[in-house]
Amino acid sequence: MQWMTIFKKELLGDWRSMKWIWVPLVFILLCIMDPLMTYFMPRILDSVGGMPEGAVIEFPEVPPTEAIMMSLTELSMFGSLLIAAITMSVIAGERKSGVAELILVKPVNYFSYITSKWAAKLFLIFISYSLGMLASWYYVDLLFGGLSAERFFGLFIFYFIWLIFTVTVAIFYNTIFKRPGIVLAASVGTYIALSILAQVFANRSPWFPNNISSHIRSLMASGEVSSDLWIAAGVTVGISIILLIASNFSLRKAELAE
Amino acid sequence: MEEITSMLPIIAPLIVIQLVLMIIALISLIKAERTNGHKALWAVLIICLGYIGPILFFIIGRRQD
Amino acid sequence: MAVVEVRQLEKSFKGKEAVKGLDFELQRGKVIALLGPNGAGKTTTLRMLSGLLKPTKGTIRFSETNENEDIRNHIGFLPQYPSFHSWMTGKEFLIYVGQLAHLSKDEAQERANELLEKVGIANAANQRIGKYSGGMKQRLGIAQAMIHQPQLLMLDEPVSSLDPIGRREVLQLMEELKEQTTILFSTHILGDAEEICDDLLLMHNGKILESGPIKELQIKHQTSLLEIIIEENPETYIDRLKAFESIEDCKLEKGKLLVAVNDMDKARTQILQAALQEKWPLIKFELRRTTLEEMFMKVVSG
Ligand SMILES: Nc1ncnc2c1ncn2[C@@H]1O[C@H](COP(=O)(O)OP(=O)(O)O)[C@@H](O)[C@H]1O
Ligand SMILES: [Mg+2]
Repeated sequence: MQWMTIFKKELLGDWRSMKWIWVPLVFILLCIMDPLMTYFMPRILDSVGGMPEGAVIEFPEVPPTEAIMMSLTELSMFGSLLIAAITMSVIAGERKSGVAELILVKPVNYFSYITSKWAAKLFLIFISYSLGMLASWYYVDLLFGGLSAERFFGLFIFYFIWLIFTVTVAIFYNTIFKRPGIVLAASVGTYIALSILAQVFANRSPWFPNNISSHIRSLMASGEVSSDLWIAAGVTVGISIILLIASNFSLRKAELAE
Repeated sequence: MEEITSMLPIIAPLIVIQLVLMIIALISLIKAERTNGHKALWAVLIICLGYIGPILFFIIGRRQD
Repeated sequence: MAVVEVRQLEKSFKGKEAVKGLDFELQRGKVIALLGPNGAGKTTTLRMLSGLLKPTKGTIRFSETNENEDIRNHIGFLPQYPSFHSWMTGKEFLIYVGQLAHLSKDEAQERANELLEKVGIANAANQRIGKYSGGMKQRLGIAQAMIHQPQLLMLDEPVSSLDPIGRREVLQLMEELKEQTTILFSTHILGDAEEICDDLLLMHNGKILESGPIKELQIKHQTSLLEIIIEENPETYIDRLKAFESIEDCKLEKGKLLVAVNDMDKARTQILQAALQEKWPLIKFELRRTTLEEMFMKVVSG
């Protein structure tokens, strides 16, 4: 009941601040930009001319399974930045502005408070991500050739687990820091640190959350979900749950007033 | 040239998205009582920076709460 | 009957003591003013009572709630500088916090309408809070604190930021609310406290200096003084006055004789009789009372 109240209020807030319009649009953009550019750039250069006579422009042969991976590359770079940015003030903003002083004096369960906000942001991101990936699938199919639904949904679902993790990290920092800017910096810093760690220990830690992308790449190639992917996904879900529980403790411990 | 026109229907969505982003950012800029930074500056950024302008405005220009 | 009992309550911020050992009780059905100059520790105290800050030491006990019950069910709180979701309308916000306080949607709606009416912003119910004036926000703040009919309503400087008319109206509103709940409010203005409170807690530098029913405190701090002006050579009357046993002290200040007395009735009769018999050239004979105000000023100015 209380959970739904906060969840709905968050959705309404995101609607009034136009997040329900611009976030999906930006996700679509991120997802289709690279496949489109890869396809069209050489062709545009070719038709516009300006290349010396005799120079041959090669149209790179990109298989559809690789073209769709371009969307994930963009999402991993800019998508996580965007996710951290739209999540940075979910709780920290309320604490900074002082609304939290009104809300948390009401008999609000902290775990409901955190998870309802988490779920509301995740819902927005899920819809945006779905639209983005479906658009990407459409263009890949059109420009690079067919991609089976099985592979697409494998990629779609496993990568979403990584997105859940990114949101959860940002929510966790929301309960630690009172300034949205610091939440953003800490979240992005964490993503970067994790990706560096993942590269350093690439061979020894296949279960690392960041390796989900590279496992998906082999899923695309082979068509089979490797056990490493299952494990990495399981670990990522596990860490996310732990982070949510830790957020609950962290908020409980926090002094809510300045 | 012909090839470019045949590409249009495919590129069009990119342009439409950019336009929509720009328009809703401008609407939201006009409706906002206060912004972080000068309104006129934001208007210029939104119009001139392509996709980046509106996104920057929504993330740092708008005041939450 | 005490609603709350506070014992040995302390709060330090990084070693700096803001509240230094408070002991007090709040009596049910009373309006209690927490009076003190800026920096006295009023906000810190109210935040601890509402659970927003954790005491460094000491206990806060709410009676009539059992150990495991969430005390937030029974308290309403208006912060000193309340802020809201400015994108919501006043009514939406009230329904939202009502539901957070476990009212059903219908109950919350009904209660919201009732309170909007009561605090006098019903005509702005469907306006975005971002467009509200300071006074309207203050009223909305009181309404949100009352939404779940708390046993204890705590208001942090509810009238300090208002103009004289707004102040009048909010005090009036508190007067009405006291029928329904115990009210604890903080202020740095004695006049506001005297106007509506039953009990007073006088706070300074993190300590409670005086507490009790305001009527008693007013009497307790009323020391009596006579001011006498005599046309010629007032200094020659000092010893004469000091001779009366009802008079404690007498001194000359700017041509006025200030007389401290221990028994006003007796002193008055004795002095007037002497003045008649001895034909003093009296110009002025006035009874002056010092008030709580002077005590407060003394406390505030150190
Ligand atoms: N978060 C804080 N950190 C450090 N010092 C604080 C904090 N809050 C209050 N104080 C200090 O505690 C003292 C009491 O403050 P406060 O409770 O706000 O007083 P009042 O509300 O009576 O004006 C002041 O000296 C203030 O500077
Ligand atoms: Mg204060």
